[in-house]
Amino acid sequence: MIKKTSKNTNIAMSRIGKIKKKKSILEKQRDRTAFVFLLPALILILVFFITPIILSLRFSFTNWDGISKEYNFIGLNNFKYVVNDACFGRILLNTLYLMIIYVPVLNILAIVIAALIVNVKNKIGNFYKSVLFFPNLLSMTVVGFIWKLMYDYNNGLINTVFRKLKLDFLVQDWIGAKNLVIPSVAASIIWFALGYFLIIYIAGMMSIPIQLYEAADVEGATRAQKFFNVTLPLLAPSITINVVLSTMGIIATFDLPFVLTGGGPGYLSETLALKVYHYAFTNFQQGPALALAVILGIIAILIAFLELKILLKREDIY
Amino acid sequence: MNKEKSLKKSRSRVGTNIFLMIVAILVLVPLWYLLNNAFKTPQAMMLEPLIIRPQTFTFANIARAFKIMNYPKLLLNNVIILVISCSFLVVLGSFAGYAINISNNKAIKNLYIFIVLIMTLPFQLAMIPLVSMLKSMNLMDSFFGTSLVFTAWSLPFVIFLYTGYMKTIPKELLEASIVDGCGLFKTYVYIYMPLLKTITGTVLILRGVHIWNDLLIPLVTITKSSMSTLSLKLYSFASTRITAWDLVFGGTLLVVIPIMVLFLSLQKVFIQGIVAGAVKG
Repeated sequence: MIKKTSKNTNIAMSRIGKIKKKKSILEKQRDRTAFVFLLPALILILVFFITPIILSLRFSFTNWDGISKEYNFIGLNNFKYVVNDACFGRILLNTLYLMIIYVPVLNILAIVIAALIVNVKNKIGNFYKSVLFFPNLLSMTVVGFIWKLMYDYNNGLINTVFRKLKLDFLVQDWIGAKNLVIPSVAASIIWFALGYFLIIYIAGMMSIPIQLYEAADVEGATRAQKFFNVTLPLLAPSITINVVLSTMGIIATFDLPFVLTGGGPGYLSETLALKVYHYAFTNFQQGPALALAVILGIIAILIAFLELKILLKREDIY
Repeated sequence: MNKEKSLKKSRSRVGTNIFLMIVAILVLVPLWYLLNNAFKTPQAMMLEPLIIRPQTFTFANIARAFKIMNYPKLLLNNVIILVISCSFLVVLGSFAGYAINISNNKAIKNLYIFIVLIMTLPFQLAMIPLVSMLKSMNLMDSFFGTSLVFTAWSLPFVIFLYTGYMKTIPKELLEASIVDGCGLFKTYVYIYMPLLKTITGTVLILRGVHIWNDLLIPLVTITKSSMSTLSLKLYSFASTRITAWDLVFGGTLLVVIPIMVLFLSLQKVFIQGIVAGAVKG
């Protein structure tokens, strides 16, 4: 009797074992299929994304000219060259200045306009969304030229309007004057990008439970109070995404500043993103270009990391 | 009391609308300026940049820019690059998203995190070695090569979107179809593919617009003038003629037209696509 039971248990045990094994085979098969499905994307990313970045890191320590197969390691010389370049400080400051104007102005404008659009009737709200979003569909090259024409000293729209209104003291050389060129570049990029960030904020606001607003109404909150005490805290995740996205965007933005000012006049609006291109494809100095690209990458990652740290902490408070 | 409140409310609504209308007009001004001047004789641009009169209306700028830029060829080039890149993006992106969703494998999960993290890296970091790699692979001045670069640099974002979207599809569907004897590939084709329409639309809009418009990647991967894209041609065309305002306005408008037509006909889809992308992101 006892023997029989143990035999039965044994059979049962072995069956369970088999089932377990079978399941793990299934899972293994699933993993294998998953790898096959993932492989083409991985190969493309590996070949055209990761490999050149690794090569950049490597070649930034060499005197490689971008073409030949021969090169020597020269340590930090490229980095030294870049940092000692007379305009390096200017370029770094320009990049940060552009970022410091662009990110807050863009995000505050987008949040305020989004809050207003959420409050109007659906149909007219969609009209505003479409109008404000449209510039985002244009290429930055086009936006660059449109604004180059807008900012033109003699015939540009802005100066013409000021002259017509007899406000001659407001007539400025918008992209030629020292203190104006970076704000002007920032303004045109804000014109371009506003719609995109606006729509992310609107989506974020739509996901805030309406009961919270109703509760606030019962308490007799004003519109401003509702905005500061309900909307803004609950919008924290959207703010985090948008601030990081807009910072990453502005640090690497190339097309529009390249077309609008090309970094000029002099180095007054040259940014890191532009300078990498100028080193590599205007001056044919591959080493410094690579070193500056690496510096650009490190700055981008550092700032994103810092922002995430601060913004996620802020999300936790609420 | 109540009346007073509703009066206040409607008054603030009028205020909001007026403010938003001003913002909308300010956003439209540069576009109107482009439209208004593209159809004017150069003399009229100088004398009356703000208004357009029937006497000074002309198609000459557009026609000349059309001819000098070799516009139909450029449009075709753009379409070719767009079609190749978007096909790759949709197929490979949804494959990858599917892979990440069907497996509990740790390596795959870690790969996903890695892919999401590299989204923040700027293209400039890879640009220079990439050009020499493309040269050695014979992919410089090739639509295929340019498309592959676009695909690789868009894939992380696209995989992110697809993975996020597929997470919302109930796992039971996958289990049920496997129990019914569908393989994983068949499950992808018959169960997942039809459910991916919305997110595929979003991917096509978000990345399509970006690929159509980008300047930097064509600038470094295409050197032949006959293979130029719209953005690239506009850059070289207009920056050498920045004093010839008529041509710059004409050329710029020509580049804007395709996307303007597309947007006006598909407005709703565009906004919904962005919202879907934003919510998933």
